[in-house]
Amino acid sequence: MRQVLAITGRELRAAFESPVAYATILIFVLVSAGLFYLVGMPIGGMPLPSLWEGGEASLVVLLAWMPLSLGLLVPALCMGSWTEERRAGTEELFLTFPLRASQLVLGKFLAHTVIVSLLLLLTVLPIAWTVETLGDLDRGTALVGLLGAMLLGAAYVSLALLVSACATDPLVAFLLSALLLLGLWLVRMVVELFPADLAESIDGLTPGAHFMGSAVRGVLDGGDVLYGLTLICAALLLNTWVVEGRRER
Amino acid sequence: MQAASESQPSGPKPQPTGEVLIEAKGLCKSFGPVVAVDQVSFQVRRGELVGFLGPNGAGKSTTMRMLTGYLNPDGGEAVLGGIPASKVEARRILGYLPEHTPLHREMRVDRFLGLVATLRGMRGAPRKDAMARVLDSCDLAGYETRRIHTLSKGYRQRVGLAQALISDPDVLVLDEPTSGLDPREIVRVRDLVARLARDKTVLVSTHVLPEVEDVCQRVLIIAGGRLVADGTPEALAGSVGKRLVLEVNGAGDSARLAETLLALDGVEEVAQVASLRGGELRLEVRVCDPLLVLEPLRTVLLESGATLLELRHELPTLEQVFMEHTAGVRETQP
Repeated sequence: MRQVLAITGRELRAAFESPVAYATILIFVLVSAGLFYLVGMPIGGMPLPSLWEGGEASLVVLLAWMPLSLGLLVPALCMGSWTEERRAGTEELFLTFPLRASQLVLGKFLAHTVIVSLLLLLTVLPIAWTVETLGDLDRGTALVGLLGAMLLGAAYVSLALLVSACATDPLVAFLLSALLLLGLWLVRMVVELFPADLAESIDGLTPGAHFMGSAVRGVLDGGDVLYGLTLICAALLLNTWVVEGRRER
Repeated sequence: MQAASESQPSGPKPQPTGEVLIEAKGLCKSFGPVVAVDQVSFQVRRGELVGFLGPNGAGKSTTMRMLTGYLNPDGGEAVLGGIPASKVEARRILGYLPEHTPLHREMRVDRFLGLVATLRGMRGAPRKDAMARVLDSCDLAGYETRRIHTLSKGYRQRVGLAQALISDPDVLVLDEPTSGLDPREIVRVRDLVARLARDKTVLVSTHVLPEVEDVCQRVLIIAGGRLVADGTPEALAGSVGKRLVLEVNGAGDSARLAETLLALDGVEEVAQVASLRGGELRLEVRVCDPLLVLEPLRTVLLESGATLLELRHELPTLEQVFMEHTAGVRETQP
């Protein structure tokens, strides 16, 4: 575990030593706030008004954006994680250390999950505080929503890291994982065109559906949490397999 | 000489006695249709410093990558300290400097070395001591807080060596540690490697032949993915044809003298080369055994009435050995 945390520490330090991370965080926080206060969530079957328009003391509008906005942000944060390692040749170094590939994968996953969670805290807390001052925010609902968003973020991280491990360079990793995550989000939008049964089963496969179905409304659903954890485990296992598979080139 | 087609590498092998710490057992590796390494077998024992030579694309790096567990062989087995290199435990005794010295360049020297130490399972006081030890042995004192990308190539190479040495490994595999360095750095790295070799097992690949001649007790030459030579530098030099070089004045018809010499027992080849001592004729005579040829040669020269300016028994340099063993071998890697 010490090795895993050493990897996590290195990734965190690398991320926070670069101005890109701060710029990304700032943009994300500002854009999220703008969407929450001014724009609302106009996309989807049930459009939601912004705080000023609707005047509802909840974070649903903010959280409803997450499947889409994290779908752009997480690929940007994770794109270089494996591709840069390979480009610099440090992957070769790591793979000749007395380490298991799973330790590397886990270390990177933890680091990026911490970054995304921190980002969500920075986004959600100020807004929650504002809403609470203006109206009557249900703290329990907000907390479940935040934790749900963190789990969604972690699931996205696991998928984006997997793509980074498969891709040849950071840009390709970004494009592919953004395509994957936005594709998963988009599926929910077009799924209504399919027959009801099929639509429901397809929708049930996307992380967004599990997030929007429960956590956003403050419902802590065991099945949805299990879905999230299963998705993460599967992606991390596949990632380990891909990295370990480099030895077989 | 078609060295590559030989099944057994040439040259008598030295007979060291320590335990075998690095073993390649019939290693094979292909990348798509390209055979990079083909049935390479050798052993390196404790305390040996072995030079690994070969042209670009001969399979040196691929062999080293298999020995360090980075690549799994398609066939055969790479073994470190009796354990297959693919196992995590085997890599505990290993220090490895890959080609081109990959490092996390945005990191500080001390943090990078600290990370490597932790990843190699070190903690607490031993970890701290190890960092102090490698900073000292690799002459990095004063550079601890520098970021690696701000260092010169020579210093980056020292950081690369320091990370390979941090766990005080029994086995060191260094892939071209001197490539691209200036002469002063080359000497420094060579001295460091020679010093390390006193109590470690070192496999070092290089293009700088004199370096191998100076420090390595044993040389492996790989060409076209196959091991074509294995022996001490002296033994390998001996395995390539021996030469007598002579320069004379007043020999009359040079072509006739060359013909007469070629007709002697034990002479394999006679070639005229540019004069070095101001004489009229300089010849390189390739022979099986210089001592056998010497007497008849003297007689021929006496009869021709030539004055001898120089007569020398020349051992081939490692460079010539290298050229001889790798001549005409195809490249295996794209």
